[in-house]
Amino acid sequence: MESLIELQSVTVHSQEHISLDEVSVAFPPNRSTVIMGPSGSGKSLLLKVAAAIIPPDSGRVLMYGKNLQRLGQKELLGFRRSSGFMFQDAALWENKTIFENLALPIQFHSPRRSSEEIENRIRKLLNTMNLLDSLTLRPAALSEGERKIVSFLRAIVLDPQILFLDEPTPSIDHQLLEKMLGMIKTLNEKGCTIIAVTHDAHLTSMIANHLVVLKDGRVLEAAGIAEVRRSANREVIEILTQVLSEAATYDTDILDLLEE
Amino acid sequence: MIARLGKNVSDAFGNFLYATGFLFNLVKESALFLRRRQVGFRVLVMQLLFTAVEAMGIIALISLGLGAVIVVQGISILPKFGQGKLIYTILLIVITRELGPLLTAFVIIARSGTAIATELGNMVISHEIEAYVSVGINPISYLAVPRFLGVTLSMVLLTIYFNLFGLFGSYVVTQFITPIQLQDYFHNLLGVMSVADIASSLIKALVFGVLISFTAIYQGFKVRVSTTEIPQVAIKAVGQGFVLCILADAVITLIYYV
Repeated sequence: MESLIELQSVTVHSQEHISLDEVSVAFPPNRSTVIMGPSGSGKSLLLKVAAAIIPPDSGRVLMYGKNLQRLGQKELLGFRRSSGFMFQDAALWENKTIFENLALPIQFHSPRRSSEEIENRIRKLLNTMNLLDSLTLRPAALSEGERKIVSFLRAIVLDPQILFLDEPTPSIDHQLLEKMLGMIKTLNEKGCTIIAVTHDAHLTSMIANHLVVLKDGRVLEAAGIAEVRRSANREVIEILTQVLSEAATYDTDILDLLEE
Repeated sequence: MIARLGKNVSDAFGNFLYATGFLFNLVKESALFLRRRQVGFRVLVMQLLFTAVEAMGIIALISLGLGAVIVVQGISILPKFGQGKLIYTILLIVITRELGPLLTAFVIIARSGTAIATELGNMVISHEIEAYVSVGINPISYLAVPRFLGVTLSMVLLTIYFNLFGLFGSYVVTQFITPIQLQDYFHNLLGVMSVADIASSLIKALVFGVLISFTAIYQGFKVRVSTTEIPQVAIKAVGQGFVLCILADAVITLIYYV
């Protein structure tokens, strides 16, 4: 199967140390890939490089074989139009209202869309997540979880074909989290390629067909989930056990606290 | 030591090349601003409101004060040397050609230069710039160009406004010392005014506007990872803004007289 996005020998330096070291990995189309690894292993950076937000210092990022760094203006806009990115820290535009945060990508890519159409789309999305009351608020007035949801909605507002998710689940309450996971799953079933960085075992079990395991800026394993589970690489097993058990322990602790 | 010196020179040359490329990109995107479908037009309007409209009060106060001071000093001293009429030439030189553009530039540096560097720096830290890139919006054309055009245009408009208030303010003060007909005052003033005076003032305003906005935007985008960099870039935007404006002022004045 031809890869949708492929990184070839990508190296990125940040502040004079190597954050991604000769990373080569491919993301298949219409599948869900989960990137895992210990904190500081370069997962978020890998996601941003794959989304062509941060250019690599060396190596290439290809989309269907075309170098993303060398795409023409039109092709690059097409890629942006068809992809959405949810940031770990939400990265909402603080000087804009929630409505403006969600409307700007539509106004930019579809300038002929009527304001009524845009408003309906945004109201519908916010209503799904019980955030309709926040329409005119600034991001600073929202909780961390709500900010993450708005960041998620901004990423899907243009019905993307590729969805990049950077730690989408922390800080979001259970009810909204279930809704969000449902939307991610629906998008994936409709053919949207999902590339997610997460420590969330629940999300991973729900959507992942493909796993990439990262450590110290290097890819240890990148394969179908069944193959990774059967991996004989001790480092991979250790990381998966550690990352997933941390999440599981954390969840259990919360449940224990609630039961008390 | 020689190696360190060499590295410093090499870094300085690299930074200069980068800044030149950044300025070229900014000017190129500015030229395309009106031709493109722009969602950034609102940012331009907001920048004009902040830089020009909101600064009108302080500019009026400074220019009225300056005009008054020149008249009071001039009328007290010049007649003693039989050069009372020179007051009009001095008013034009000081307000229109020199201090008008320069003081306006200082006000804009203090208000908008710091604001732009700080705001853009914060946007880098909170990944808002990356968010613009992720949805396909070029941060140069959406964030930098409206600020560049807004500050430059504001600088020109405020300089004209400064000149008008300064010259009018001096007339008001004259009324308290040696009352003179408005018609006579402006007749004398226009008698010594040349097209070169107005051109010099406007050229300085334009050049200062470009320098102030470019410096503030460049410094804002230079922030990388830490909030502690933000006050540093704000200070640099102010310091470099002052230095560049004074140097440009000297160069333009030299060209005018040589």
